[in-house]
Amino acid sequence: MNRFLLRSFPIWFFLILILRQSVAAEPSLHEQIDALIDAKLTGKVVSKQADDYEFVRRVFIDFVGRIPTLAEIDSFVANKALDKRKLLIVQLVNSPSYSKQMANTFHIHFMERLGDNAEWMKYLEESFKKNKGWNVMAKEILRGVNSKEDLKGANFFFSKRLENYGQNPVDYSALTRDVGRLFLGKDFRCAECHDHLFIDEYKQADFKGLFAFFQNAYLADAKAGIVGEKLTAKKMEFMSVFKKEKKEIAPKIPGMAEVPIPEFKKGEEFLVPADPKKKILGVPKFSPLEKLSEQLPSPENADFSKNIVNRIWFMMMGRGLVHPLDLHHAGNPPSHPELLALLAKEFSAHQFDFKWLLTELANTKVYQRSSKVDMGKTPEALALFATAIEKRLSAEQLLASILVATGRYGKLERKGGNEPEMPDALKVKFAKAFANAARDPEDEIAFSLKAALFLLNDEAVLGLLKPEADNTVADLAKMKPDNVMIEKAYLAILSRKPAPQETMDALEFLSKPVSVGEIGVKNLVWALLASSEFNLNH
Amino acid sequence: MKNLCTPHDHLFSRREWLGASTVGAASLGASGMLAQPAFAEELRKNDKQVLFIWLDGGMSQLESWDPKPNTTFGGPFRAIPTKVPGIHISELLPKTASHMDKLVLVRSLSTKDNSHSAGVDRIQRGDPKNRGVTYPYLGSAVSKLMGPCSSGMPPYVWIKPMSGGFITKDAGFLGPKYGAIAFGDGKAPENLLRPKSVSLDEDLARNELREKLDKTYRLARRKESSEASSTVFDMASKLQKRIDLFDQSKIPSKDLERYGSTEFGRHMLQARRMLEAGVRFVKVTSYGWDTHGDNFNGHLSLVPKVDMAFSAMLEDLQQRGMLDNVLVILMSEFGRTPRINGHFGRDHWPEAWSLAMAGCGLKKGLASGKTNKLGTAVEGDAHDIGSMFHVWFKALDIDSSETEYDNQGQPLPIANEECKIISEVLA
Repeated sequence: MNRFLLRSFPIWFFLILILRQSVAAEPSLHEQIDALIDAKLTGKVVSKQADDYEFVRRVFIDFVGRIPTLAEIDSFVANKALDKRKLLIVQLVNSPSYSKQMANTFHIHFMERLGDNAEWMKYLEESFKKNKGWNVMAKEILRGVNSKEDLKGANFFFSKRLENYGQNPVDYSALTRDVGRLFLGKDFRCAECHDHLFIDEYKQADFKGLFAFFQNAYLADAKAGIVGEKLTAKKMEFMSVFKKEKKEIAPKIPGMAEVPIPEFKKGEEFLVPADPKKKILGVPKFSPLEKLSEQLPSPENADFSKNIVNRIWFMMMGRGLVHPLDLHHAGNPPSHPELLALLAKEFSAHQFDFKWLLTELANTKVYQRSSKVDMGKTPEALALFATAIEKRLSAEQLLASILVATGRYGKLERKGGNEPEMPDALKVKFAKAFANAARDPEDEIAFSLKAALFLLNDEAVLGLLKPEADNTVADLAKMKPDNVMIEKAYLAILSRKPAPQETMDALEFLSKPVSVGEIGVKNLVWALLASSEFNLNH
Repeated sequence: MKNLCTPHDHLFSRREWLGASTVGAASLGASGMLAQPAFAEELRKNDKQVLFIWLDGGMSQLESWDPKPNTTFGGPFRAIPTKVPGIHISELLPKTASHMDKLVLVRSLSTKDNSHSAGVDRIQRGDPKNRGVTYPYLGSAVSKLMGPCSSGMPPYVWIKPMSGGFITKDAGFLGPKYGAIAFGDGKAPENLLRPKSVSLDEDLARNELREKLDKTYRLARRKESSEASSTVFDMASKLQKRIDLFDQSKIPSKDLERYGSTEFGRHMLQARRMLEAGVRFVKVTSYGWDTHGDNFNGHLSLVPKVDMAFSAMLEDLQQRGMLDNVLVILMSEFGRTPRINGHFGRDHWPEAWSLAMAGCGLKKGLASGKTNKLGTAVEGDAHDIGSMFHVWFKALDIDSSETEYDNQGQPLPIANEECKIISEVLA
């Protein structure tokens, strides 16, 4: 034996070397992503990598929630380090602003403008600050009845959806749809009354099984947002509108097994019996929400991982690999199936670590491509990701960016090292002008007449252009000659230098009789702020 | 799908038009077209438009289009002859009676919902088969299918009492950009008026520069987003140039006399000016028709206001040659019960009721369908609202048997496919 080992030692040694090497050569996720995207781009029009200005603007909007300041642009552009993009990504992902920006993005994404709640925002922010895995967050959110102080905010996802508006009953169907859409990437809306007519794999039983988790949930205290559960003692009955045949189902996540409903002797169903006198809610021993929160966010549930990586891909790249985001099914395959599978597998293997995934995505060539194509070339179909796709700025990102661009940002009050809070009055106005209506997902760019009129004439915008101590308009108005001023304006607002033709256009504008002095500067700034370039994350 | 503003018989062919236009077509469907002024004028005349008059709460068919005098449920009012021999309507509509030769009445409506909250939605969405999606209101549907007129004015405008704003719920699954711009009490929407701090010259100059920036931006990029931005700014400027539309002081007093110096009269007059300005779909709402109590005094006060404004509108549209292009619809979410309740009122009645319409694509001087002697049921073919949607689309040159919405890959008929078109009302 010994002799064998000794004799075979060189072979062992060699094998170990090979193994070690192959481990070292295992390409990182961002390299694998680029390889899979590039595989479809042979012979296609592929955009160049974004220059430093385009890149720094994009990465700031995505991770900080606003355009970079002049100083931030300068310091990045002046940096000569070869890996400065990598460094900036690491720096931003670990800055305090990251958790705030992620909280905002997830709030818009998961609450779809149904309402705001300070506890919920705090919960999201803390979670992203701690870099909780998505499985952990999803478990907390889907639990719905968290009582621990730091988790209470997580209940808002349910408590808001369990409200009834005026005389309308609680919309349990909408709640069911939202959980399917937002956590599983599947919109079972059209499978509520019968199997889906166009999507074979969406069954009525999927909708009803999911519905059965929520049927006994209720809003116990609207003010405090406390969710309660009534007893679930038997399966839920349903029937197709086409085939009048009685069926029943226990709570069941699509693609997984039904949750068995335990039987208890009468009087023993409750863990905590209700006591209306002492205002104590009854807590049943069997909690469907608890089962949901345990089963849905598990690595065994492929839909759970695929949905979240697809949504994160959308947030970064402007389009889902599966698009629309809530229609994962065989008839709507991903543009890059291997890539989606890879992302889902790796994200799960990394304990659903957002910072890791976002860093990898930001380091890809595909994220860092320009949104421009060479003159005369036509951009390829969006789903090829050959050219960076323009992304919508949320009302919140737009407000913060306008405050940076107009030189108001630095003067806002900030707590600790965090990004400052936006003034409430402006927040409300911007949300009114730029946010979608409740339940309308903000998943595409939408310029509206309302928003145009707001930019044109609202005092909230025009007020920011009044020259006041050290703000952008005041600073620019003092600057001479005009071409220097124009370059500064472009940098402050569009985060880049103007092309020669653009400087000429601006000079021509300033030479008009109506553009004398501060008025000309003010309106130059306005035009830059109202441009599509400023209003998009390009 | 027909989504161009220009009908087939248009003076300029599409090719000529595109060739002559110096401004690129924009991105709201194939519709945000910007024509040169001379062409615009010509195009405007041929743009089909809709005036949708909504009497919220439920106008009584017995006190309007389908009177049953001297019957059990007939009520106190008489029926009067109209300009069309054989067609009688309520004596509360004497002025409209003299325009009967322009009108089509449908007296055979039989719809499904008798509650306001559901009924208003159901009727204005055309009561399609339930496919789990929220259908657009007629105004949003026309906005989507036809786009703005060549005027570049917003396609769906709603003139209503009380508050205004941007009403997105009308759009249903089409998405908020097809919602209505509501002019509350006819007043301009928020931020339409340029503040005094910005002069007109400044405004023109800053927008010219903005437009230049956008053109430069899209030179090397996908064009859709920045074109959409240009389109909404252009629409804003078109609307701003028509601030006179919101200025009540500019209304000639003679017009006010004819339309009636009532809220509804003013709103109808404003609607006419909106149509003249090239808005594709104008909705005017009048509230307060839910006469469960004292139905007869209620209608005695309400109907004459409609009579005045509606007849003046018909007269004006006719005189301006617009009736060939404008589809006029006047209706409620349901009619009112023949049975008179203990409070001298009439309740909600979707079983057998009427509407009036006029204009493009329709016959003139016709009463289609009928109810029984007591007005309690439709005799012969009864028609649900889906049938009316087929009629209206046809009148606007949209083939509702062929045209479908594409809801993220799900094809959806634009009108309830189980309802039949009413051919006899179409020209």
